[in-house]
Amino acid sequence: MSEPGTRRVVVTGLGAVSSAGIGAAEFTAAIRAGAPTTSEISSFDTTGFPHVHAGEVKDFEPREWLRRIDPGQWGRSSQFAASAARLAVADAGLAEEDLAAARAGSVMGTTSGESAVIEELVAEWAADSLKSMTPGRVAAAPAGRIAAAVNHELGLTGEALTLATACSASNYALGYAYDMVAGGDADYMLAGGADSLNRWAHAGFFRLGALAEEVCRPFDVDRSGILTAEGGVALLLEPYERAVARGARMYAEVLGYSVNCDAEHMVHPDPTSIAACIRDAHRNAGVTPEQIDYICAHGTGTRTNDATEVAAAREVFGDRIPPISSIKSIIGHTMGAASGFGALICCQALYEGFLPPTANVEQVDPALGAGVDPVPGSARPARPQVVENHGFAFGGNNAITILGRVS
Amino acid sequence: MSSATAMVAAEEVASRHALGRTAALAVTAVGVATPAGLDPVELARAVLAGRQGSADTEGLGDEALPPRGARVVPELQNAFAEHIGRKGNRHLDRTTRLGLLACQFALEGHTGPVGPRTGVVLGTSTGSIRSSSEYSMETLRQDRPYLVNPSLFPNTVMNCAAGQIAIRHGLKGVNATLAGGHLAGVQALRYARNALRQGHADRLLVGGVEEYCAQSAWGWHRSGALGIDAPVGEGAAFLMIEPAAAVHAAGRRGLARILACETAFAGGRGLGDALAAVIGAALVRSGKDPAEVQAVSLGSTGQRGLELVEQRAVRAALGGRLPQRVIRVKDTVGECFSSGGALQIAALLGAWQDQGAAAAGETAVVTAVSQEGQVGCVVLDTNELGTGELGAGGLGD
Repeated sequence: MSEPGTRRVVVTGLGAVSSAGIGAAEFTAAIRAGAPTTSEISSFDTTGFPHVHAGEVKDFEPREWLRRIDPGQWGRSSQFAASAARLAVADAGLAEEDLAAARAGSVMGTTSGESAVIEELVAEWAADSLKSMTPGRVAAAPAGRIAAAVNHELGLTGEALTLATACSASNYALGYAYDMVAGGDADYMLAGGADSLNRWAHAGFFRLGALAEEVCRPFDVDRSGILTAEGGVALLLEPYERAVARGARMYAEVLGYSVNCDAEHMVHPDPTSIAACIRDAHRNAGVTPEQIDYICAHGTGTRTNDATEVAAAREVFGDRIPPISSIKSIIGHTMGAASGFGALICCQALYEGFLPPTANVEQVDPALGAGVDPVPGSARPARPQVVENHGFAFGGNNAITILGRVS
Repeated sequence: MSSATAMVAAEEVASRHALGRTAALAVTAVGVATPAGLDPVELARAVLAGRQGSADTEGLGDEALPPRGARVVPELQNAFAEHIGRKGNRHLDRTTRLGLLACQFALEGHTGPVGPRTGVVLGTSTGSIRSSSEYSMETLRQDRPYLVNPSLFPNTVMNCAAGQIAIRHGLKGVNATLAGGHLAGVQALRYARNALRQGHADRLLVGGVEEYCAQSAWGWHRSGALGIDAPVGEGAAFLMIEPAAAVHAAGRRGLARILACETAFAGGRGLGDALAAVIGAALVRSGKDPAEVQAVSLGSTGQRGLELVEQRAVRAALGGRLPQRVIRVKDTVGECFSSGGALQIAALLGAWQDQGAAAAGETAVVTAVSQEGQVGCVVLDTNELGTGELGAGGLGD
């Protein structure tokens, strides 16, 4: 039985497994510094690829972070997700048994699910035939295991939902988790996302002419595309009253969200549709455009993304676009985890008081028009009250979340 | 924010989350593409007669298939050309084609408006595993690893089918894809329920798609998860889901009411206990007594270790008996993984449609169990939406 009406929802725990470090503190420090954490790929054979840089998670030893699930039975994305979730719970100062005893579940976003597992199976297929696929790896392939891994690792008995809306999936997850907690369907939800580096996406983005050689420079006149990346991220959501009662640190309040669909083209985003999504998100969160102090951009580093995202922002904000930066310049494009990392850094920005930077910006592209402030360099001290987190995807799946400083 | 603005905003948010908390959902149309035909009544008749769907795997690629039964949508290319058209669809994979076809039929059966706030919630497991694994294979087989076809790249993302459905029908509302495997049907309905309840959408096409291909057929065969006689299948089913009150207010009638869609994670508990508990909770939420359940549509047929667990749990939850009608779609359509749940519901709706007035007052449960520990249950009934009597059931708390 839930309470009537609605509950305020806050974020009390943050967990990250990324090229910028493991744990929210390491991740945040790297973002604030504005120094790229991308590197040469080592997790797959890059022979023959002209571009070989990505946001790869180096030296990730799942046994260091996971206590319940056997890493051998789970794919890399599931390991990222479960590790990030465990870190988020620890960060929230919540006893594991208290969480497990509560009405708690997880909702995780992903683009390619267990793509590294699928590529192991493809390697077996290539070496011999489909007949020779290893049964245990087949069992690890379904993408829905990502949220299941979180529930298993933390002993949760509620929902375990994996949303597969590609590169906006973590924002979808955060929105759904917010509704579940606000509406009384759950008392705790872990929301985030996970993805693993894989050859097919690396090849696909290269063929689309969207892959940068070594440096990702969103908003810069010399930008040349994205860097693929991987990682796992989780935010712990709970009702405000509960957080206050247990004396929890509250990073931010989830104010609302919106999702919509371009319904125009599979890979070319539509500024009008994105603008509509921004407006709906504001309405849902009960805020106005002038209240938005910062936008955590989708900011992939492609010309198309910059033009579309800035045009959409102009439609809503007119000539006063809030500072808009892209952490993909630092960690690359973590695909289904991307807007989750965006949400995490938004929480930190609200809690610690700064604006996350865009790295590698030397000259803002004048073609984007006046008034585009990508917070170049390193973090800027500020006291944002309400921030907006963007996530767009192939298939036209837009998702925007709004977070506020807890007052 | 001024305090007055803050107050208004808080009220808006509060009313949004309170919105429709006790509203039942109506299924107002259903569309299918199955090995037993392109119509839910045909599907139901085949299932209830124990008839197998088509096993013709001609033209599904060059890879050898495992020595195991198959169930395949017959003549998909022709059906697609006839109902959707060939123009501009050259690059669409089988998953997307199946999804487009089932959605086309659901929309043809939908008598209400479509409008800008209509969306799609699609259940999958890995998207088209054939598309992504073949794409990956190309990176190994080509002279240069990047010599892949850029036009096929969108097929490798799991939300491809939902995106294409939206493009075809101009559906700009909520568009979600979830990877739920055996739980995808229940999860898609839950996602839709929340989106409708929060006012994010007016109506949603909710369903699942799974294609038959060498990669998944061998995957099932190698995994050991399926009984030796269990065929691997494919299919798509979509339901048009709307708030029952809105349907009724417009003077329209639905095919069925959805009263509950519950899920849980077994974790340390046994799967069977968890499923029995979820069925019980779903019935309570529906305002139904276990004795009122006349039909069950099972999800784990052919799944080693799960089939018996599911049946025992249903028995336990329904007072020690299986209801008089037990629907097992998988004998007909095969193991359809993430579209199984939607097909379980579609077969039930087809049976009710076929029975006409004789189905009045019937209540059914639809169950799902995953190897990973998720369990789920949907409760539906044939309550006449046109009477305006929505009964005690509902999706409230």
